[in-house]
Amino acid sequence: MGTIRTIIFGLSLTLLSLSAHAEWALNLSPGVTEVSRSVYDLHMTIFWICVAIGVVVFGVMFWSIFHHRKSRGAEAHHFHEHTLVEVAWTIVPLGILIAMAVPATATLVKMYDPSEADLDVQITGYQWKWRYTYLDQDLDFFSNLTTPQEQIGNEQAKGEHYLLEVDRHLVLPTDTKIRLLLTANDVIHSWWVPALAVKKDAVPGFINEAWTRIDEPGIYRGQCAELCGKDHGFMPIVVEAVPPEQFQQWLAEVKAEKQAEVAAAEKSWTLDELMTQGEQVYLRACAACHQPTGTGIPPAFPALKGSPVALGDVGTHIDIVLNGSPATAMQAFRDQLSATELAAVITYERNAWGNSTGEAVSPSQIAGILAGNADTAGEGAQ
Amino acid sequence: MHTDVIQRCWRTLLGVLAGFFGVRSESARERDFKEGRALHFVVIGVVMAVVFVIFVIVLVRWALSITGA
Ligand code: HEC
Ligand SMILES: [Cu+2]
Repeated sequence: MGTIRTIIFGLSLTLLSLSAHAEWALNLSPGVTEVSRSVYDLHMTIFWICVAIGVVVFGVMFWSIFHHRKSRGAEAHHFHEHTLVEVAWTIVPLGILIAMAVPATATLVKMYDPSEADLDVQITGYQWKWRYTYLDQDLDFFSNLTTPQEQIGNEQAKGEHYLLEVDRHLVLPTDTKIRLLLTANDVIHSWWVPALAVKKDAVPGFINEAWTRIDEPGIYRGQCAELCGKDHGFMPIVVEAVPPEQFQQWLAEVKAEKQAEVAAAEKSWTLDELMTQGEQVYLRACAACHQPTGTGIPPAFPALKGSPVALGDVGTHIDIVLNGSPATAMQAFRDQLSATELAAVITYERNAWGNSTGEAVSPSQIAGILAGNADTAGEGAQ
Repeated sequence: MHTDVIQRCWRTLLGVLAGFFGVRSESARERDFKEGRALHFVVIGVVMAVVFVIFVIVLVRWALSITGA
């Protein structure tokens, strides 16, 4: 008896010390919205109901086994049916299920009511990035992973927000009801941010609705939750909640930035400048498929090093980067990158890794094509 | 004769409801098999399934109306 007691004491001490470590927090997050808190409460209520049922059922079972053990001369009692007991063990679980269904239904109804929102944001899943469109605000941008390749390849120590960091955050105002309209461009993705208790599939050709109202300013991270191909684990979500006044300020800033971008396309760029910027754009937007060394992963993703397109006619090269190649992973980048970025990355591809055409594609040329939709063929290739 | 029919319908209905619930005593089951008719059980079973579906629909509508959705 003494040894058993020591073992039990030791085990419970171990359990206690485990729960003392914050890294061991395995539970759902209570989050930062009213809905996320009711999801959390629901989860905890049902969890404790399950614990109680487990304790009672296993308690009775173990007690019976122990109390009616053979060494005490217990003999099995044979009986066939017992209607009363059967009715009891049907009614009791039914009652418990109904008791759980009541708060669950209340939470679900709340979750599914995106009406009367003050801000609409469309979220589009791409292989492998998210695009955020602020409807009515004329604002639209892509959000790409920024974790460096060296960290992914274990050549560098991993950062604090490894695989959960992006170049452009989804900035949202606090204390505002925001409607999220989810869809996808290529395959099914799923937009999941635990702190907001939002997890919704983004399906090509459909628009799914969700909503949130964030109480506390802060940065909340999430991931794509639907297997969507090679870089499924590399398209994180970063939501930045700021007070409404700061949000308005941010809107004005991004719009000004956009104007500056347009102005930048008008100035003349040297080959070196384009190469420097082009490398950055390439690593961010193209390297996942075509690889940092330009060698691609044939046959899925062709090499650009020595590619007839990158070395041949510049019009064809521009066309495929702007308009993509239909029914392949090669997307249209005309909406994803600015004229300057497009010119830079095309120039880079024509002059990096031993490709040496010496040709520079100027941002103003691309801006002209984007504006007039002029000499690009492949109209249908969106 | 008339009361006999009502009596029999009632018993079949009880048998069907016990089936939905999942509990029936052995003696009642034996009586069902001796006195009941298979066709009656099938017909009342289908009717009760429809009634159950309608019940669920009404329940959902009611839940939505009281939560204000
Ligand atoms: C999601 C994967 C993916 C990304 C990201 C990607 N590409 Fe591609 N790219 C492809 C695929 C697949 C093809 C082949 C298309 C085909 O077979 O028609 C391709 C083809 C090309 C070609 C033609 C090469 C040839 O020899 O046929 C060029 C040029 C190109 N991509 C440039 C880019 C640039 C510039 C970027 C970044 C701005 C980029 N790609 C990003 C998948 C990708
Ligand atoms: Cu995805």
